[in-house]
Amino acid sequence: MAFPGAMIQFADSFSGGRSDPLRSAGEAENVSARLPRVLVVDDERLLADTTAAILRRSGFHAKTAYDGFSALEMTANFHPDYLLTDIMMPGMNGVELAIAITKMYPSAKILLFSGQAGIADILEQSRAQGYEFPLLAKPVHPLKLVEGIRNLGNR
Amino acid sequence: MTQPEVSAGPSGPPNALTRATNNFLAAIVASSDDAIISKDLNGIICSWNEGARRIFGYESEEIIGQSILRLIPPDLQHEEDFILGRIRAGERVDHFETTRMRKDGERFPISVTVSPIKDDTGKVVGASKIARDISERRHEEESLYRLAAIVDSADDAIISKDLNGIIQTWNKGAQRLFGYEPEEIIGQSILRLIPEDLRHEEDEILRKLRASEKIEHHETTRVGKNGDLREVSITISPILNRNGQVIGASKIARDVSDRKKVEQLAIEVEKIATTGRMAAAIAHEINNPLASVLNLIYLSRQEGVSREEIQAFLATAETELERVSHIARQTLGYYRDTGAPAEAYLHDLIENVLCVYRNKMLAHGIELEATFNDLRRISVRSGEIVQVFSNVISNAIDAMPQGGKLCISTAQTVITGRESLRVIVSDTGHGIRREHVSRVFEPFFTTKGNLGTGIGLWVARQLVVRHGGQISISSSTEPGDSGTLVTIDLPFGRQEGEAIQAEAPESGKEN
Repeated sequence: MAFPGAMIQFADSFSGGRSDPLRSAGEAENVSARLPRVLVVDDERLLADTTAAILRRSGFHAKTAYDGFSALEMTANFHPDYLLTDIMMPGMNGVELAIAITKMYPSAKILLFSGQAGIADILEQSRAQGYEFPLLAKPVHPLKLVEGIRNLGNR
Repeated sequence: MTQPEVSAGPSGPPNALTRATNNFLAAIVASSDDAIISKDLNGIICSWNEGARRIFGYESEEIIGQSILRLIPPDLQHEEDFILGRIRAGERVDHFETTRMRKDGERFPISVTVSPIKDDTGKVVGASKIARDISERRHEEESLYRLAAIVDSADDAIISKDLNGIIQTWNKGAQRLFGYEPEEIIGQSILRLIPEDLRHEEDEILRKLRASEKIEHHETTRVGKNGDLREVSITISPILNRNGQVIGASKIARDVSDRKKVEQLAIEVEKIATTGRMAAAIAHEINNPLASVLNLIYLSRQEGVSREEIQAFLATAETELERVSHIARQTLGYYRDTGAPAEAYLHDLIENVLCVYRNKMLAHGIELEATFNDLRRISVRSGEIVQVFSNVISNAIDAMPQGGKLCISTAQTVITGRESLRVIVSDTGHGIRREHVSRVFEPFFTTKGNLGTGIGLWVARQLVVRHGGQISISSSTEPGDSGTLVTIDLPFGRQEGEAIQAEAPESGKEN
């Protein structure tokens, strides 16, 4: 099918040059240094990019990764205050990523984001290991998403 | 019945005729299979024929002059008083069934007829005793009773019929299964039990019976007294007479309605499980683009966004919505399936399934190679066929967690004289162990632990067979060359032909 390919092309154009509409706000380091940091992880690139763009407009310093391993690598230079991650991803799933990040940065707050039934097993496994993360169901209105992340900070 | 009186010989003075008659009687007595013995009124044996020797084992020399009590077991000797009493009174004892003793002490059942012997003056002087060894008959009677008890206590319906299909016997099981009392159904045609649209089966059954063939575990439908249809498994065997000629048939019918219901239930459960699996995949495919569209619209409405940026956001949103519509069209359509067969291209149905699993295949690094050469439409219940391919393809994907290649091909072929479509689905996954391959079509067999329902392939086979097709599987676990190959053959338009056959007589009657 042509759609996944087409979608990635659009996402790439957004993450391209200076005129990238999804990257335009809040990227300057001097500003972002004081802002809460969010790492957005989703293998659906368009969703990761647009979500990050919305978070930037809402006063967060947001970065994106498209799979669990690159998200982990990214945390070496970008210590997230918040992790917003999809669950079903190839390679490392969102719960495995969340557990790894919690171990490295115990203060990081986690929000899982999933559009799929059939994740019960994965959640069960994390619960068995003593981890329980809040979960938001896709699709969700952007304002609800921002509110969800802000609420994590108030806990 | 008049009782012919037996006397020692023909009355009147001896002459040629009476001598001939005497010889004649002697010949009968000597050649009789029965024991013929005479005794006097004290119970002393006076004559002893060949039959008596055979039955009791005594030679005439050793028994003549002895008491008849030698033949009677000690605990039954009072019978002799009763018999002699009747004889003295000139009465006869007819077919008295009792037990006697052979020379070697063996007791055996016997039927005795004792008649008084009178002299010329009519005075009773003794008794003639005709005894028949009935151990053989008893034995046969007992086995008959035993058989009858077995037949009657069987849960299965056991019926016998003649070659014209007229019911001869009817056991309690038959009464329970079909509701008829023996009186109302014996003598009636077996066709009363066969639904109208299945009456042709009886011709085939009778043809096989006349050829002395047996019909085993034929699963069909029969109808009870109140019109209820019953799913039965029947076994029919020819009944032969002594000369080996077929004179009728015995029919054992077992009610399999419950088993059929359980099977049907399992098929329904699997349908729900397949629907669930597909729904999970569909949800993922739909919710992601919807979430992106919500984000893009939200971004478009923000302040300080240029017209060009808004254009770009909306164009992307449009593409995402097209993606959602495409998936909805491809997948949700089959839930509207009414179950009636319809003409469809098989490759379209397979594409629908692939559409649902495409993302999962990408995620697992599975390469797809599809070669579709089905140029003709096929008459199928598309919902069922989608289910078959969904099961087979999701098995293939599950077998390749580390990636691999999924090959699907369709081509026309001829299977036992019928034009068919052959679909081959092969994967390069871990394969199925040799001892498991033969069991994969069994219900509740799974190699996936808690993740499998164990009835996916079993249902797939049921559905393929329902379409008049067949499914087979071969697999290798050879490292470096492992994988599984599933072959599905579906005949073109079997449903069409059937529908025409079934409807033609109906429309004929109406006109």
